[in-house]
Amino acid sequence: MVELTINGRVVHANEGEMLLAVCRREGFRIPALCHHEAIEPFGACRLCMVEITKKEWKGWSNYVTSCLYPVEKNLIVLTDSTKVIELRKTVLDLQLARCPNSPEIRQLAAEYGVNQTSYEPVVDGDNCILCGICTRICEKMGFSAISTVGRGHDKVVAPPLKEAPPDCVGCLACSLNCPTHVIPYIDNGSTRIIWGRTFELIKCSKCGKPTITRDFAESLSKTKSIPAEYFEVCDECHRREISLTMGSIANWEREAAK
Amino acid sequence: MSHDRGKLEAIFDRYSRQPESLIAVLQDIQKEYRYLPGPALLETAEALKVPLSKVFSVSTFYNAFSLTPKGETVVRICVGTTCHIRGAKVIQQQIENMLGIKAGETTPDMKFTIEVVACVGACAMAPVVAVNDQFHGGVTVAGLKRLVKKV
Amino acid sequence: MMHIESPKQLAEYRKKCVAEESKYTRKVLVCCGPGCLANGSQKISDEFKRILSSKKIKGFSIEALRDTGCHGYCEQGPLVIIEPDGTFYTHVKVKDVAEIIDETIAGKKVIERLLYCDPDTAKKIEKYSDIPFYSHQTRIAFRNLGRVSQCDINQYIAIGGYQALAKTLADMTPEQVIKEVSASGLRGRGGAGFHAGKKWATCAGIQEKPHYVICNGDEGDPGAFMDRAIMEGDPHSVIEGMIICSYAVGSNQGYIYVREEYPLAVVNLQKAIEQARELGLLGENILGSDHSFDIHVSRGGGAFVCGESSALMKSVAGEVGEPRAKYIRSVVKGLFDKPTVLNNVESLANIPVIIDKGGEWFSKIGTSTSTGTKAFSLVGKVNNSGLIEVPMGTTLREIVYDIGGGIRDGRPFKAVQTGGPSGGCLPESKLDLQVDFDTLTKAGSMMGSGGMIIMDDRTCMVDVAKYFLSFLVDESCGKCVPCREGLYQLHAMTVAVSEGRATEADIEKMEKLSDMIVIGSLCGLGKSGPNPFLSTVMYFRDEYLEHIRNKRCPAGVCRALIQYTINEKCNGCMACITACAHHAITGKKKEPHFINQELCDKCGACYAVCQHDAITIT
Repeated sequence: MVELTINGRVVHANEGEMLLAVCRREGFRIPALCHHEAIEPFGACRLCMVEITKKEWKGWSNYVTSCLYPVEKNLIVLTDSTKVIELRKTVLDLQLARCPNSPEIRQLAAEYGVNQTSYEPVVDGDNCILCGICTRICEKMGFSAISTVGRGHDKVVAPPLKEAPPDCVGCLACSLNCPTHVIPYIDNGSTRIIWGRTFELIKCSKCGKPTITRDFAESLSKTKSIPAEYFEVCDECHRREISLTMGSIANWEREAAK
Repeated sequence: MSHDRGKLEAIFDRYSRQPESLIAVLQDIQKEYRYLPGPALLETAEALKVPLSKVFSVSTFYNAFSLTPKGETVVRICVGTTCHIRGAKVIQQQIENMLGIKAGETTPDMKFTIEVVACVGACAMAPVVAVNDQFHGGVTVAGLKRLVKKV
Repeated sequence: MMHIESPKQLAEYRKKCVAEESKYTRKVLVCCGPGCLANGSQKISDEFKRILSSKKIKGFSIEALRDTGCHGYCEQGPLVIIEPDGTFYTHVKVKDVAEIIDETIAGKKVIERLLYCDPDTAKKIEKYSDIPFYSHQTRIAFRNLGRVSQCDINQYIAIGGYQALAKTLADMTPEQVIKEVSASGLRGRGGAGFHAGKKWATCAGIQEKPHYVICNGDEGDPGAFMDRAIMEGDPHSVIEGMIICSYAVGSNQGYIYVREEYPLAVVNLQKAIEQARELGLLGENILGSDHSFDIHVSRGGGAFVCGESSALMKSVAGEVGEPRAKYIRSVVKGLFDKPTVLNNVESLANIPVIIDKGGEWFSKIGTSTSTGTKAFSLVGKVNNSGLIEVPMGTTLREIVYDIGGGIRDGRPFKAVQTGGPSGGCLPESKLDLQVDFDTLTKAGSMMGSGGMIIMDDRTCMVDVAKYFLSFLVDESCGKCVPCREGLYQLHAMTVAVSEGRATEADIEKMEKLSDMIVIGSLCGLGKSGPNPFLSTVMYFRDEYLEHIRNKRCPAGVCRALIQYTINEKCNGCMACITACAHHAITGKKKEPHFINQELCDKCGACYAVCQHDAITIT
């Protein structure tokens, strides 16, 4: 156990825990755009920065990304100091110059009193904030179908050679986890289109509703040793089947008790 | 791309197909073809067992790599700090005018590519222009014509 | 070549090397450093070889002709030095070679015309050591540069190379090595100035294995080429430094990361590593000890950010060079997530000397907090461009005037830029500052890797800030927002200043944004990125205001605010007309020319070619 102070309150945390997790658990609100529970902390959006100090630092303090900073004994953390707020304002102001049309960024910026960017709007800015959640989660899923391309201000997220990505299985992890909803996909009954590729959607053999893509199912059954038949039935029908099974077990037990 | 599997295989073998050697492999491919042809990236991904997306990410991150073919003669204008304050901009414009292309472009006949590079480490001789890795120091606007003519 | 099995055998081998070297009483050293190469010294060396291979000269053998590393005085290059007299020939041309062979080598006569001429006294100086440029220097990291062939292990051994390694392996424990390095006070020459001894001790103390040693040869600061000169001209001293380090920290594998723009450095390092392997100085059981170590040369891909340690380590691993937050330092979790010691080329080149002469000896050079010497590339609008090495604590004035010989064309000094894109510009009032890690940082610049760019009154400080910011926008990895978006906006605002579109309030806005980039960025590139702006606006605020209030660029650089006109000195030579790509200049031969402002692109080509000072910038 480590004891530290957050905004004047003494709290306890486990060794090795990151500040962001501890702060949030204790009810301190810290914004973050590149943070995702399923993947390693990244430290790119800089919104989760907090001010830290220690008694023995003699008045000196530091600004760190709480998502990446492991808790330390006797750490004094300020999640909303003047500098921290100013920094978040600046970051959101800069983000707004790049993606002025993103409702998510607009809302967050407005919370910090930034309603319009004070900078020159970026030509060709879209709603991608380059948080990297999509590429990192794609890697975590085991596909690494997309990546960041280029560097610096011209960096974008794209599939290799900017063509339909061969390693994509249409799992939607990228799109559904994007904080600014900037990765489009189209589902129309039997097919799904994402990143310029068209995937076949498996139809549930029981109810006929589309489930996941054939490619995703094949990949899962191969890498996770799940029988391919499992994916022929949708989640709902699976649950229905389970309840029937459970029911018959209960019936059987009742019979046996008699 | 004059697609030659043997050449690529030799490059992969040179680095024992180690995933860590991705940058070195791409450098050798770039040297061989003067750019990174798309099919070569696919083969690299396969040979080194590295995701294609990563190969592409690395190929676009580093300055050394180009996804479009470069000209036979690459004119690299150093725009390091010293060259900058000693007039590299003027030199760059003059070369661009002479060849009719901008930095980063290649002439339609594939003869010349102009590149700018942030310091080649020959600052004492600024401004410096390298023609196919042959360095020329103390380049002047007046002397430039001779230099390009020679090339 | 033999495989050396013990320090004692190395001593015997050395005797042979010394004997071999002493056969050549007269030596011809052709400088093949970066500057001289750009000036065509390879052709001069080839000409020597061509003539000497067919010509017999008594008491001289072709083996005594050497392509050496950088002598430092690039301004005077190509350089040829004749030993043992130290006759120093400057600006040598291919056609001079035959004469040098006949007169100086065969005839032992000095060719007056090729000697260095002291600009103050107008006297010719014959000897290397008497030239003011050299007499103010102390060479430790550069100790072998120019003395031996670029990569010849026998010559290196003959002048004392690998003695420190033998001493380390034979007489010292790893703890003693670290103690010696700590005692020397050596701080990282790459820019950050972290104590090398401390870093080594931390790494050595970590149980987890393996440990790695990396030499950072990604000299990315534009305007710096000290490390290039060492890697090309004296690769063995770097290798020796690395082996000693590996012994101290318990590592068996090292990497040298060389930037992609230095192909010759890669070749020479590889050659040198091969030579060291053959002699048994690298590989299994070095000099018969229990210690094994080998080195791999890793070529960079051309990305400035890879000079940052965590990005560099990713690049060595074949990945995109994106830095990570270093709340856990790379000495604990570095390459492949293992404990890693990363030292810069110059730091490592100092190690053999520290072991040889002792940490205490080294610590007495320089100042109490910045010990030893520092290599600089002294370039820009200075008379004596080149590579220099001076004790820490030498003042900027001594460097610029005593060694650098003052400003070119007798123009006034304006600023000295140190620390590359992370550093800053210091004005004349700071010339008496001592050059060391802490003083430069306090003054708003930084030591950096050692680029020192001298600027005169024709350098615009707004343009300098704009230049560095544009460089950093190109080189930012794009991972974190303050660097990617913040530097982009800061650059856009300097462009506005340079075009007379900015307001005074913008300056304050830029300062505020800079402050946020400094505290908000992930790595050193972003954190120090605003420095070129901050230091120029601190010391040259009036120049910014002149651009804003009066729409004028006092240095005559910012295109949107200047005009080129032809004055009465024009003699009608047509040079500018030929140079102008926009056909903006008209006039007949021997008649005054005229610039059509409508067509003028303000590229400055006319100004650059005019020999008669007939172009005025207003």
